[in-house]
Amino acid sequence: MKILGGFALFVLVGTAGYGQALDLKGLEKLAAKASDSTEVALDGSLLRLGAKFLSADDPDQAKVKKLVAELKGIYVKTYEFAQEGEYAESDLASIRNQLREPGWSRIVGVKSKKDRDNTEIYLKTGGSEPGGLAIVCTNPKELVVVNIVGKIDLDELSELGDLGVPKIDIEKPKSTKPADKKDHD
Amino acid sequence: MSNLEDDLRIALRREEPPADFTERVLARLNQPPAEPTWRERLAVLMRPPRLQWVAVAVIVSVIIPAGVQYRKGERAKEQLLFAVRVAGTKLHQAQHKVAETGRMGTRL
Repeated sequence: MKILGGFALFVLVGTAGYGQALDLKGLEKLAAKASDSTEVALDGSLLRLGAKFLSADDPDQAKVKKLVAELKGIYVKTYEFAQEGEYAESDLASIRNQLREPGWSRIVGVKSKKDRDNTEIYLKTGGSEPGGLAIVCTNPKELVVVNIVGKIDLDELSELGDLGVPKIDIEKPKSTKPADKKDHD
Repeated sequence: MSNLEDDLRIALRREEPPADFTERVLARLNQPPAEPTWRERLAVLMRPPRLQWVAVAVIVSVIIPAGVQYRKGERAKEQLLFAVRVAGTKLHQAQHKVAETGRMGTRL
């Protein structure tokens, strides 16, 4: 495993400011090629609505409710491909360009030669219009991009990730390859 | 028997209406109908056929939008949980890899 960024764990523990969301529209064309894709776009109003429906009695949901209280938006795009090479690095060019803009800084870059995974974490802090958090994970058969806009405790977010991704049924955009499509169940 | 016949004849004898009868009937017909009181209006509203329409109006204007909003909220909640967990998982994995590499470096 090769570490691109020699960043200690504690760097992640902190808060990110809030501002504009990244433009992730450039990725939407990949849904047609993907065997499984999930696109979640929760702006401020949907985020507040969703948070209202979280149960205070469920410890995990209560944590999520607290975590998202100061967020302005959450945008997630995940694509799984049946074969390698169905997306190119150039598909990520527009996102990488946005992440090169002032204010954004890459705090973690992890590249695994063994798993061929590449994870990059970007933070936008400071200034009058700070951005938030961006996560870009690539794998020959998988692409995940997350953009969180608003103030978030990264340590608490990581704790929730330790619980694993819930298997829930999210309404997904229609793929042009329905035969290949799998559902999260 | 004759008494009964006499009684019937008296009871069923032809009587002419008063002279102003026609005018009074026409005058009553020309009068505007009296405004119904709120009780009368409510009674009309609560008659079974109208009540059905009131129920339909309530369903259309209140219950259906509330149901739509509820469904939208539940969907937003599921998306929110999914998004937070995906973000958290990726962050956690990155942390884990960084920590793992740190341990390997220490061992070396």
